[in-house]
Amino acid sequence: MQRGRLGIAGWVALAVAALIMVAPLAWTLLLSLKNNAELVGHSEAALHGPYTLQNYGAIFGNSLTLRWLLNSTIVALGQTAGVLILASLAGYGFSRLDFPLRKPLFIFVLVGLAIPSQAVILVQHQLFAWAHLHNSYPGLILPGLVAPFGVFFMTTYMRGIPRELDEAAMLDGASRWTVFWKVILPLTKPAQSTLAVFTFLGAWNDYWWPLISATHSNMYTLTVGLAAAQMNYAQTSGLGYLMAQAVFASIPIFIVYIVFQKQIVRAMAGTAVR
Amino acid sequence: MIRAGAALVIALALGSCAPADHKTHLYLQRFFGECGAEYGGSTDISKAEGECGIITTMIARFNAENPDIQVDVNVVAWPGYPQLTAQVAARDPPDLVTMHEGVISDYAAKGLVEPVDGYLRAAGISPNDFTEAARQGVTMYGHIYGLPWDTHGGLFHVNTALFAKAGLMRDGKPVLPNTGQELLQQARQFEQRTGKPYLIQSNVGDPAFAARNLYTYMMALGAPIFPDAKHIRLNTPIGLTVANFFRRINAERLGTQNMDTPAAIAAFINGEGGIYPTGTWMIGSFEQEAETPGRPLYKSYAVFPYPRLWGQHVEFVSGHSWVVPTRKRSPQQREAIARFFKFMAAHNYDWARTGHIPAFKSVLNDPRFKALPHRADIAPLAEIGRPLPAYVQRQNAIEGLVGEEMAAGFTGQKPVRQALADAERRVNTLLSQVD
Amino acid sequence: MTSARDWRGLLFVAPFLILYAIILIFPLLRGVWLSLNQVDLFGAGHFIGIANYVRLARDPVFATSLMNTFEVTLMIVPPLTIIALLLAIALNRAGKGAALIRGVFFSSAVLSVTIVTLIWRFMLAPDAGLLGYLAKAVGTAPPPFLSDAQLVLPALAITTIWWSVGFPMLLFLAGLQQIPEDMYEAAALDNASRWTTFRRITVPSLRRTLVLVVMLQTAAQLQLFGQSQLLTAGGPSGASRTAVLFLFETAFGQWQLGYTSAAAEVLFLIILAVTITQYWATGRATAQEAR
Repeated sequence: MQRGRLGIAGWVALAVAALIMVAPLAWTLLLSLKNNAELVGHSEAALHGPYTLQNYGAIFGNSLTLRWLLNSTIVALGQTAGVLILASLAGYGFSRLDFPLRKPLFIFVLVGLAIPSQAVILVQHQLFAWAHLHNSYPGLILPGLVAPFGVFFMTTYMRGIPRELDEAAMLDGASRWTVFWKVILPLTKPAQSTLAVFTFLGAWNDYWWPLISATHSNMYTLTVGLAAAQMNYAQTSGLGYLMAQAVFASIPIFIVYIVFQKQIVRAMAGTAVR
Repeated sequence: MIRAGAALVIALALGSCAPADHKTHLYLQRFFGECGAEYGGSTDISKAEGECGIITTMIARFNAENPDIQVDVNVVAWPGYPQLTAQVAARDPPDLVTMHEGVISDYAAKGLVEPVDGYLRAAGISPNDFTEAARQGVTMYGHIYGLPWDTHGGLFHVNTALFAKAGLMRDGKPVLPNTGQELLQQARQFEQRTGKPYLIQSNVGDPAFAARNLYTYMMALGAPIFPDAKHIRLNTPIGLTVANFFRRINAERLGTQNMDTPAAIAAFINGEGGIYPTGTWMIGSFEQEAETPGRPLYKSYAVFPYPRLWGQHVEFVSGHSWVVPTRKRSPQQREAIARFFKFMAAHNYDWARTGHIPAFKSVLNDPRFKALPHRADIAPLAEIGRPLPAYVQRQNAIEGLVGEEMAAGFTGQKPVRQALADAERRVNTLLSQVD
Repeated sequence: MTSARDWRGLLFVAPFLILYAIILIFPLLRGVWLSLNQVDLFGAGHFIGIANYVRLARDPVFATSLMNTFEVTLMIVPPLTIIALLLAIALNRAGKGAALIRGVFFSSAVLSVTIVTLIWRFMLAPDAGLLGYLAKAVGTAPPPFLSDAQLVLPALAITTIWWSVGFPMLLFLAGLQQIPEDMYEAAALDNASRWTTFRRITVPSLRRTLVLVVMLQTAAQLQLFGQSQLLTAGGPSGASRTAVLFLFETAFGQWQLGYTSAAAEVLFLIILAVTITQYWATGRATAQEAR
C-alpha cells in the first residue's frame, strides 16, 4: 500500500488525465439522451437540452433486446467460469509441479498469444460447423476458453507465491490437490478477480466470432444484435440511438467491475503473505 | 451451481425449439436496421417511413395476407456478407437475402445462389418489367439471379440557396455543367461569389466516392473498364483524362478536403457547400431538412443525376436485390418464394419512397411516384444507370482497391498516373486469383 | 520441489491443453496447409507450394501493413505501460476517492471498439470534432488526423492508449498488492526516500507484472485491427492499414483463403518471435529471483 502522498503536481496531472478519460464518455452519455433528428449535422446539440429517454425506450422496444442481453450474460459468465477453472488448474500445474515436458508445454501455450484471431477464425468456423456447434451457447463459449492469456497470467501470479507454503502443507500430509484447493487458490483472489474482469469484458465485447457463429437473431449476443439493429448511416441519422446502445451495453460490465473491484481491495487487506 | 446448470439446459432447449404450426416457413435475412419499437406489428405500409419502417411493414403485411406462410426475419448489420459467407460455408443459408447486385456474381459463379427464372415465371413477372439498369444488374451467366429491388447511385445534391447567390440558378432550377470545362468555370464562379467550396467531398474513408466518380466518367467516355472477367483497364488515356479532372478539382480547392462521410453529410446540411455528390440513400434525410423551417436547406434543396460532362450520359449504379441461396427446399417453400416475389414486385412503389430508384418500369410511370419530391428529376437514373459487367467478381473488394488508390490520386497523395497504375495492378492481381 | 518428475502434474494442465490443441492449434496448422494452396472460401483448391509466400514477399500492400503494425505498436506500448504504472502507483490506496478514480480510468475499457472509434472519430475529425472546436478557438487549423498519412498512426495510438489503459493499470495494482507491507515498513524505518523506495522495492517487485504487461500489450497491439478498420478503414491510401486488417480484407473481402493463410502464418511467426524474445530476455532475470 502506498504510503506516500501525491504532491500538487501529481494531483494536477491525475486530474487532467481523469478529465481526458471522462470527457468523451460524458459526451457519449449526453448524445444518448438526445433525439436523433436534432443531432443530424449538429452533434454539438448534445451540449444542451432538451434531453429524452426515447433512445433507451427504442432499445427495449425491440423484443429481442432482453434475449440478446441474456445470451451475452450466459456466454460471458460461462467463459469467465471456464477460464478461471482451466487457467487456475493449469497455472498451478505449470508454476509448482514438475512433470515431463513442463517447459516445452508452457512454451506451447505461450505460442498461442501470438495467434491473431483473424488468422484462425475461418478454420475455427469450419470446425464448429462440422461439430454442429453453431447457434448454440457452447459454440459461443468454447473459443474463448482457449485464450492462453489466462494460463499465462495465473502461472505468473502463482510463481510469486512462496514455495514454503506448499512444502509446509505437504509436510502435514496434504495431497497436491488439497494444496491447490486449500492453500494456493485462496491466495490468488486478486488475480482471480482481475482475470474474471478481463475475461468477462472480452467475452462481452466480442464481435466477430458471435457474428459468424450465431447467425440466428435469437442467438445473437448483445454486441451483434445492437449492430444489426442499426440502420445504414446510423452515425448520421441515428447517432443518439447508437450512443444509447453503447451506454446500455456497458452497464453490465461496469457492474462487474464494481463488484470485483471491491474484491481486489478486500483481498489486498487480508492477504498477508508472510 | 446445479440450478444455474439446469437453467442453462432449459435455455438451450428453448433456443432450439422447432415451430409446430402448419405453415410454410421461409427464413429471410436482410439489413436496413431494426425498428420493431416503432413499427413492430404494423402492417400499414403507406404510413411507414424510411428503409427500416417500410421493409418491416411490408414483410408483416405479407405474413398477414398469406396465413399459410410465415416469413421469419433475421436482421443483420450492413452489409451482412461476413455472416452470409459463413452461413453458406456451414451449409445453413437463409431462403431469401438482400444482396447488392454487384455481389451476386461472386455467389452465382459458384452456384451458391439459385437462378430465379422459375420463381419469376410463377409470379408472373417478366424481365421486361424491370428497368434497364435493374435488368442488367441481375442478369448473368444466361440466367436471372435475383429479384431486383431498387437502383441506387450517385446524385448531385444541390444547395439551391447557395447556387442562387452564385448566380447559378435559372428558372428556379440549378445550372449544372455540360462539359468538364464548364464545371471548373462554374465552380470557380461559385467560390468567388459565395466564399464556399463548390463540391462537398467525402475523400476520407469512403472509397466508394472516388470509385463512383472514376467509373461514371470513364463509362461516359466509352472506356471498357473491365474488358473481360480477368482484367481491369484504368491506366489508359481515358482514365488519365478523368483522373486528372478530379485532381484538378482538388488542386484548385474547388471541393472540400479531409472530410469523411459523416462530416460531409453534416457540412451539406449546414449549408457549407454547393453540391454533395452522394447517393439516392440520402434523399430522405435531406428532404427532411428541406422541410424544416430555420434550417440552411429549408426550401433550398434539389437533386439530379450526375451531369454529363463528356461522351454519353451514363452513370455507374448498383442496386439491391433479393436472392435465393442454394439449398434443399420443399415445393411449398418454392411456391412461397414465388408469392413473396410477386408481393414485393407489386409494392415496389412503396420501396421507392425511400429515395432509391424503383426497379420496375411500371413504378417509374406511376403518377404517385412522379408526385414524390424530386423524383421527376432523378428518374432518368433508371435508364442511364449502368452497373459493372455482371461477369466481374469481387466487385466490392475491387471498389475498395480502386477507391483507395484513386482517392490518393485525386487528393495528390500520389501522382495520378501512379494511382491508376497501382489500382490496375492490384485489381488484376486479385482477379487472377479468382477461379 | 525435490520430488522426481511426476506425470500426475499433467492432470492439472490437461483440460486446458486438450481444448487449446483442438480449438486453437489445429486451426493454426490447418492454416499452414491452406497457405500452400490456391483456395478461396468455398472452392476445393489446388496445391501450389510456396507460391503464396513468394507473392506475399513481393506485395507492397502487405509490406506496408507490417511496417504500420510495427510503428503503431512502438507508439503504443511504452507510453501505455508507463501511464498505467504511474496511475496504479498513484491510486494504490484505500478510500472511496481512490476507488472512484480507479473506476474512472477503467471505464474506457468497458466500451467495445465500435464505440471507441466512433467517439474518437468525433474527437479527431478536423471539421466537426472536438479538436476542430479547440483549434478554431485558438485560431489554428486543426491537424487532419484522419486524413494525413503522417498523423494517422499517432491517431490510432492515442485512441488505443485511451481505450486500453484500464486493464494494465489493474494488473499493476494486483502486482503492487503482492508487495508485503513489512518491506515498506522496513524502508520507512531506514528513512529511505520516496524515490529510493520506488527504485529499490516497488519496481523490482513489480518486475514480473511489468514483463507481463509489456509482453501482453506488444502481442495485442501487433494484432491491432478494429481501430484501423473502423476509424480510418486503413487509409489514407493504406497508411494505417495494419497486418490484421490486411488479413481481414483478403479473407472476407477478397475470399482468398490460401493467400490470407500465408499472410497469417507470417504475422504469427513475427509476433511469436517478438514474444519469445521478450520472454527469454526477461526470463533470465526473473529466474535468478525465483531461487
